[in-house]
Amino acid sequence: MKTTTKKWLTTATSVVLAAGLLAGCGTSNNNNTTNTGDTNAGGNNATTNTGTNNGGTQALSGKLVIWTFFDQVKDMAEQFHAKNPGVTVDVKMFPGDQYQTKLLTALQSGKDVPDIFDLERGYIGKFIDSQFLTDLSAKGGDDLVKDYIPYVQALGRSTDGKLKAISDHSSPGGFWYQKDIAKKYLGTDDPDKISDMVSSWDKIIELGKKVAADSGGKEHLIQNAGDLFDIEAYNTQPWVKDGKLTIDPKWQTVYENQLKIRANNVDAKLPFMSAGWGNALNDGSVVLTSMPAWAGFMIDNKDNKANGKFGVAKTPEGFYVGGTYRGIYSKSPNQDLAYEFIKYIAGTEWQQHNLEKTGNMPGNGAVYEANLDTYKSPFFGEQNILKPYYESVKAMPAIQPDKYGEDILSKWRKAAGDGIANNSSYDDVVAAFKKEVKNTFPEVSVD
Amino acid sequence: MGSKINKSYYGYFFIAPFFIGFAVFGLAPILYTLYLSFMKWDGFNAPVYVGFANYTRLLHDSFFYQSIWNTLLIWVLSNTPQLILALLLALILNEKFIRGKHFFRAVYFFPQIITPVTLGVIFSLMFDWQTGSINKILMYLGIVHDPVNWFNSPWWSRLIASAVICWQYFGFNMIVFIAGLQSISNEVYEAASIDGATKKQTALHITLPLLRPVFLFVFITSVIGGLQLFDAPLMLGDGPGNTSRTMVMYLYETAFKNFDYSYGAAVAYGIFIVVMFFTAITARASKLKD
Repeated sequence: MKTTTKKWLTTATSVVLAAGLLAGCGTSNNNNTTNTGDTNAGGNNATTNTGTNNGGTQALSGKLVIWTFFDQVKDMAEQFHAKNPGVTVDVKMFPGDQYQTKLLTALQSGKDVPDIFDLERGYIGKFIDSQFLTDLSAKGGDDLVKDYIPYVQALGRSTDGKLKAISDHSSPGGFWYQKDIAKKYLGTDDPDKISDMVSSWDKIIELGKKVAADSGGKEHLIQNAGDLFDIEAYNTQPWVKDGKLTIDPKWQTVYENQLKIRANNVDAKLPFMSAGWGNALNDGSVVLTSMPAWAGFMIDNKDNKANGKFGVAKTPEGFYVGGTYRGIYSKSPNQDLAYEFIKYIAGTEWQQHNLEKTGNMPGNGAVYEANLDTYKSPFFGEQNILKPYYESVKAMPAIQPDKYGEDILSKWRKAAGDGIANNSSYDDVVAAFKKEVKNTFPEVSVD
Repeated sequence: MGSKINKSYYGYFFIAPFFIGFAVFGLAPILYTLYLSFMKWDGFNAPVYVGFANYTRLLHDSFFYQSIWNTLLIWVLSNTPQLILALLLALILNEKFIRGKHFFRAVYFFPQIITPVTLGVIFSLMFDWQTGSINKILMYLGIVHDPVNWFNSPWWSRLIASAVICWQYFGFNMIVFIAGLQSISNEVYEAASIDGATKKQTALHITLPLLRPVFLFVFITSVIGGLQLFDAPLMLGDGPGNTSRTMVMYLYETAFKNFDYSYGAAVAYGIFIVVMFFTAITARASKLKD
């Protein structure tokens, strides 16, 4: 009798303890599937929006709810409101990476859903073919992006080529450098000459060897061999074609260059946006930092000490990092008003304002063209920085996003990153990479 | 016999809040997770019933097995030193002649109140390959010539993750041990000292045996806690070839990074079974000793 009780107790204890664990896992699940109730009291409560036809002068009125992870959307809303006092724009900001889970949960339940929501480059591919986005092409959206940088407009298109989301900016990158450091190690601080000196990876490797040798190994030409992932990410073929994993042969060359960069002490081995990376950018222990135009906040500009100190040169191939896209919820009752908002942010007026205020590069080519010879940014003194950005970004291939691209790219970064650290062969990297892809995406066929 | 007992129903109202809370926030998600594990669902389209497909996939998932192995390794590497340290410190701080023991008890408990995420970030900065303080110190002292790429080594990654956990929880276990030590009656010690037992004999033959129930408690909670390792290791990363990815990290990545909710649900149940298994072993082992 006693042993049975004890046995029962033991079993019961383990069940309860283990259930506790599962409750732990389960609860987090729960939070992410049932928390729509508290997310947004706003919802679609606009009642009086007047449908306007494009270009109409009729005064707009109503209420729009926008969900975003990006605080500068508030300014966007204010500017739009200033032009259209009848429209209230309610911006709900959810910072951090919980945003996409939150958004997805709301969209699935269909309750308290925004009229307009933001999607980041990193996961737009997952949403782009879903039923949640309004077809902007049907509303004449193609016209809004006709002057756009090709890659920027393509990222808002679904697989069938329809426009589903629009960004108000591009995110071009370049090599940022401190002029005095460049003069010391490269002999010049002229952006065109430096762009020429680093126009190919072979040139970079040779130049990097020289910088390392001249400085006794203390100074490095670039931050990280891993930066090549960012630069080549969108200059290569998409990873999945017709349900099959394809590795662009170009990645082999890239990988070999990465190994050479690492082996020859060309890079400082500092990961993008890490603390050490930021220090190197500011103290000049790395000559060239490949970074997007929006990352100026990483520069320590206390008392304007960094003003006029920097230059920007072109990378061997153009690149961009990130991007925020805005789409209209397909079941929003305020479709027309929401479209007016999208139209506003795709236009030159807002993008000009945004460029002047925040230094965010426009998505609209017309805004680039208008500012090429006039736009100056405090860090860069007299340099017309739009020029190198515009030239490289214009040439980037226009590739539509898909649900696999970014995730598979991150698997490649992981496999090849491990490979660079261990000096592994390309075949080993490919094998490790394929294993990862196969495991995460069993539906993708892998050779 | 029990017919005369007053079976008033009011009692149920008093215990209801817990059960309602558990049903909504505990049981419902558990059952929903079970439901999801038989579906195929990416969050964008309606779930489709797929039977045991997710479980079949789980059984063939070498990454999942690897994460179980990693979790066990990190658990052993963190718990062994942690329990030894906690016990030793508890024995020392329980001595009457130690001065300022309240101060030390508080100090050793401090890591427990820091969030694991913060600890993970601190350790990852300390052990950073190029800029970490550990490498700087080692190089300054001349112990190593080139900076050590800690997180590129499977064993160092696991050891660092274990060190974080060990450092965080030894203080808590120490407090539990001290509580256990203080519950041992003084009379036993007095009797021992009258019989002429040495300090070592007292510790080995009186303290440790009487501490066994506490030891079991600490052990079982550490099995449950250890198998759920998540936040601190997450901040330290997956390690080279996923060698420091724990089971729950794998669950998180599957469900919330890849949006494969249904397979994530199956992974959750896989973890449940693993934890059940080890808890049962622990419970059985504790029973054998009785």
